[in-house]
Amino acid sequence: MKIFYLSKKEAQDILTNKIYLLIIFVQVFIILGAFGMAVATAVVADPVLFDSYGITSNLKVGVDQDISRSQMAEYLKEQGFTIIKYNDREDAIKYLGNDLVAILENSSQDEITVTIDNTSPFYPVVDQKINDSITKYQQAKKLEAAGLNQSTINIIQNPVILTEIPVNQDYESPIAMDSSYFVELMYGFIVPFVLLLPFFMASNIVTDSIVGERERKTFEVLLMTPLTSTMVIMGKIIPILFFSLLQSMAWILLFDLLQVPIYNPAMIFLILLFVGLGFIGIGIIISMLVDSTKEANSAITLALVFATFILFAPLFIKAPYFEAILNFIPTILMVRISSTPIADPWLILSAIPTILISMLIFIISVRYFRHERAIRL
Amino acid sequence: MYLLILLNRDDNGLKFTTISKWEFLETLKSRKFLTIFFLQISVLFLMIFVFNAFATNIESQQGISITPSLAGFASLDVDDEGRLFSKYINPDLITITHSTFDESMENLNAGETMAVVLVPEDSLDKIRDIGTIDVKLYLDQADPKRSVVRDEVNRTAKLMAVGMSNSWINSLTPQNSTPEVVTQESAGESLPMQIITKAMIAILLFLPLFLFGNMIIDSVVGEKERKTGEILMAMPINPSDIILGKSMAVLGIIAIQIAIWMAILLITGFEISSPILVYLLVLITAVPVIGVTVIIAAYSKNYKEAGIGLTFGYILIVGFIMIPTLAYLSNKSLISNISPLTMVMRLFSGDIIHAYEFLIPIGFMVFLSAVTYGISIKLFQRDDVVFGPRPGLIRLILEFVGLKKCIG
Repeated sequence: MKIFYLSKKEAQDILTNKIYLLIIFVQVFIILGAFGMAVATAVVADPVLFDSYGITSNLKVGVDQDISRSQMAEYLKEQGFTIIKYNDREDAIKYLGNDLVAILENSSQDEITVTIDNTSPFYPVVDQKINDSITKYQQAKKLEAAGLNQSTINIIQNPVILTEIPVNQDYESPIAMDSSYFVELMYGFIVPFVLLLPFFMASNIVTDSIVGERERKTFEVLLMTPLTSTMVIMGKIIPILFFSLLQSMAWILLFDLLQVPIYNPAMIFLILLFVGLGFIGIGIIISMLVDSTKEANSAITLALVFATFILFAPLFIKAPYFEAILNFIPTILMVRISSTPIADPWLILSAIPTILISMLIFIISVRYFRHERAIRL
Repeated sequence: MYLLILLNRDDNGLKFTTISKWEFLETLKSRKFLTIFFLQISVLFLMIFVFNAFATNIESQQGISITPSLAGFASLDVDDEGRLFSKYINPDLITITHSTFDESMENLNAGETMAVVLVPEDSLDKIRDIGTIDVKLYLDQADPKRSVVRDEVNRTAKLMAVGMSNSWINSLTPQNSTPEVVTQESAGESLPMQIITKAMIAILLFLPLFLFGNMIIDSVVGEKERKTGEILMAMPINPSDIILGKSMAVLGIIAIQIAIWMAILLITGFEISSPILVYLLVLITAVPVIGVTVIIAAYSKNYKEAGIGLTFGYILIVGFIMIPTLAYLSNKSLISNISPLTMVMRLFSGDIIHAYEFLIPIGFMVFLSAVTYGISIKLFQRDDVVFGPRPGLIRLILEFVGLKKCIG
């Protein structure tokens, strides 16, 4: 009951603090911005979306007189490019990177030179499409020389027919963009990043709360109340943890609205709960070490930079030697769990190191809090 | 702290250099500052590690995976006895399981795999007889990662097709036929590599400018919170000397930090062309950044308010620095040189830069410095801003632009 009153007061402090409410609002913008960025990246990098959004037809490829009369020009048109015929290569080079994305030139009897603008954001797709055209052209030239009939040429040019048979259509996942780029970006980074954002804020709220009490000289009074140190800590952290978890759950709902379904929310909740305890524990330890809110802000910023590195760098680094360790990183676990409709329940065992480390940080913070250092005796 | 300085002042009053010297030396002596300073350097080392990992991934020529560490992100069961198809699948992102079609479909229905690929048993015969191979992909629509598997299977089918076509062509066409040679050239460094080697390193050099905001806030807002501002203002010290003194001390600290960061980047193998010019450009950018921070500090009542102001102020500054640079990457217009970051990136690229182009960012930084310090000195001279009751922002702006009458 005593803890309840302290928690209630802390909860009121959080809910009446305009800055915290502003940060919630900012997070919504971060989510919408990240979603928009993932959509834009997918459209630029995915050849299928590229065609369906009509971007390819706006890409111009410069070809010389010989190429324009050859089958190569037809293959380039098949890929969706607009062909621009040029007379002088020097002139064409001037337009490369501005109007033209690539230049093709029949440099000698049996040689074609392709120059592609590598700086273009569309480079990966342009490169892939031009390479496909070249492959077809080379094959056609050889087969033509061998004097094969058209049906054999067709088989040789298209030897594999891939048919997609959809399964479980009744339970189709309502993903906003059925693109691998979008899915990898959203589930591979944005989802764990957004779900952990409230806990970054939680460690700040903890330091604000504890260091703030000390600055206002109310901390001694609080410690003199008939509450044990553990009860004081629990009373302070319960509303903060609840507030952060509530935000994360709200962001899961927002993702659902944006058609990025987050699966297995209960498992995600469990991971977030323990990661949150770790973050709050770090906040408490920092609060014990510093003298003012200003110092606490600097220290927490640095601590969060290190936490960001530990949690997010593994998503972008290929490290075969550390693969076994990477499987236990909470963000990697979150990626796997949140994107799999039927996750293997045993996967949660991989969260044990996270749970142990977080509990250890939290226990250290509670023990440290009991120390007289808390009130600088 | 100013009482100490005032006790030592000469008859002509304090100059900003004295304040700067005192603040600078006190900061360097502070153990907390030194701890933060070295922690920031360790953050730099972490960033260098991440950048190197990124660059290695991009330069590997094996295609870029957005999340390269997520092996097993998606799963695929394959019924392919001859391993004709599965040998082409990239295992970085997809876990492949070889099993019979029936077992695979059971796994698919149980949600244990995302897709099943069925390669016909007579594929080898088809290859021998020049026939088409019908590969079937059973894809679980209930899984949001279906596109990852679809793309990988499509890519694999394409690789397999190219392999088969080439093999047939080699056996069917005369060996002495001259193949068409295709030479591929690339113009310019790839955008991801540009971002890593130029933009990211340039951004790293500009990062120290934003790490010392708290020092300025402490120096200015601290006077208000500690109630030493009244004593300070009562003394015969010109407010402009106070502002300049405090700012120059922070500028000195930033100058040391940038020099150390540049040295570390050079030692760790990053190429920085024209390091002295780059250093000066970064340093001149620090002046208006400090100016904006002083404005925020002068107007704020307390640390918390200053912290929020600083966050929004720095977002605007970062936007101002970054947007012209991003514009420069795609469209090399003259106006994008307004940001010193653009100029630093151009120096990194080895561009030929005319002297008048340097004047654009330098001139703009000098102008911004004059405006920001002018405003901060004006603010610091006002008792209502320093001691309260503080006037509202709109009222202040109207007063600054000479529209006092509008507000009565």
